[in-house]
Amino acid sequence: MRRRKPINRHWWGLIFVLPGVLYFAVFSIFPVLFGFTLSLTDYDLLDPPNWVGLDNFRELFSDRLFLTALGNTLVFVAGATVPVWVASLLAALLFDQVFRGRTVLKTLFFLPVLPPVVVAAVVWRMLLHPNGVMTWLFGAWRGVTEIDWLSNTVLAPLSMIAVHDWAAIPFFMLIWLAGIVGIPPELRDAAHTDGATPLQTFWHVDLPQLRSTAVLVATLSTINAFQTFTLQYVLSTDPGGPANSTLVLGLLVLKYGFQYFRMGDAAAVSVVLFAMILAVTAGQLWFNRRAG
Amino acid sequence: MWFVCAALAATVFAFPIWFMVTSAFKAEPEVQAIPIHWLPHDFQWFARFREAAEFAPLWRYFFNSTLLSLVHVAVTVFFGALAGFGFAKYKFPGRSFLFLFVICTLMIPFQILVVPLFIEVKAFGWENSYPGLIIPGMMNAFGVFMMRQYASDLPDELLEAGRMDGAGEFHMFLRIVLPLLLPALTSLAIIVFIWSWGAFLWPLVIVQDRELNVLAVGLTNYSQPYQHAPMWGAAMAASTVATIPIACLFVFFQRYFIKGLTAAAVKG
Repeated sequence: MRRRKPINRHWWGLIFVLPGVLYFAVFSIFPVLFGFTLSLTDYDLLDPPNWVGLDNFRELFSDRLFLTALGNTLVFVAGATVPVWVASLLAALLFDQVFRGRTVLKTLFFLPVLPPVVVAAVVWRMLLHPNGVMTWLFGAWRGVTEIDWLSNTVLAPLSMIAVHDWAAIPFFMLIWLAGIVGIPPELRDAAHTDGATPLQTFWHVDLPQLRSTAVLVATLSTINAFQTFTLQYVLSTDPGGPANSTLVLGLLVLKYGFQYFRMGDAAAVSVVLFAMILAVTAGQLWFNRRAG
Repeated sequence: MWFVCAALAATVFAFPIWFMVTSAFKAEPEVQAIPIHWLPHDFQWFARFREAAEFAPLWRYFFNSTLLSLVHVAVTVFFGALAGFGFAKYKFPGRSFLFLFVICTLMIPFQILVVPLFIEVKAFGWENSYPGLIIPGMMNAFGVFMMRQYASDLPDELLEAGRMDGAGEFHMFLRIVLPLLLPALTSLAIIVFIWSWGAFLWPLVIVQDRELNVLAVGLTNYSQPYQHAPMWGAAMAASTVATIPIACLFVFFQRYFIKGLTAAAVKG
């Protein structure tokens, strides 16, 4: 009896993982595979799906709307990664210093992480009203009373980026800080006794130690930026507007799927988006492996 | 010097939140007043909140968001811990494969799921209903991943001692493993709550009845009302309501809050 028990026992593990595995099979893995299949069909939810092979993908690359969305997404990704990477690192280094009121100020700086994205979008929609608060702050001193932050095709995408970065910078500061805490203090002390300047210490001691954090911030901010959608839906004058200047891939999926009922095209767009995100993940793995 | 930089940065970043909260207590014309009112001149306790609740079922939204988030938290925490424990402490055939299977789902962006999942859920007949709103996304693979790590660190001797005492495996999970995982479970619960509370895309597509809408989607009723001028005072009141639960978690569980956010970011 005693000898048989350890053999039976391990089956309990299978029983324990089974609810999760079944759930993910039904609500994650199956829909993904179904989505891949769907991207090879034309389907409008009414008539049965019609197999078209790779036609949807071929058409995408001559599809104006898709190319616009792709371009807008890449611009957004650029604006939501590089500035965020730099600014969040600077913020982390700033709040890593010792000064009076540090904890309170850090908490205030961190506040934008709390509200859900939709709340940020609604609040900023008011702040960015043409005659609103931001116009007053940026325009009043030079006599400007109206700025079309959200209804100008050049300004609107930049406003989206600014609002995104406002919430992203404090979040990534947190990730940097977690990395900085992991640097052995002896290393810094040694650099200090060797007469290194703070900048030298940062460059030669901190940064190499923060390598994996740096890669993490870069990839995570890229992945998040690729998936952007809520801001462009809620903050813009109309979803993706004005004149499709804030139409991003995440929004195009929704537009094709639930506005035009072109499920095949929507699935094809989402597959392209998925592929780009996977490429970023693969890049991260490659980077980390090379770093050893 | 550092203080000045930090104070400046904190002011810039906290300003929108400050403006949101104070505007929820202003008289309506004050909200858009130029130059801006840093504090309400005509302080009103509940007028904006009442207005928001009259224009749209604000408290119903709040209830729906709470229900959705709590179910997601309960399911992810319990079944995540159960599966994480199973993966960490038992050697059953297919273990590596099944773990990979679960972890794969972490890499799937929701955008690729939304269309096929919508068709699937519609086929189940759950469109525009609580099951349709809540069940997809109810469990997050991150929970399994995180709990497996923490469960691996539990000493095997502890489990052996439990078995000596004649405890069944499931009983042991409930009585020994869950309590030991409690700190990690708290972080997990907080992060899942934040995610589910802010969920926007799925509720937007699966629900049409305004009675079934969550707060995140309902908020747009005030900023972009149908054939009606935006009601910024009410919008700020509703936005404040939507932020309070997360702000409370931050205030009361700050350490777990930060841990949860960091853990979720570092998972990859």
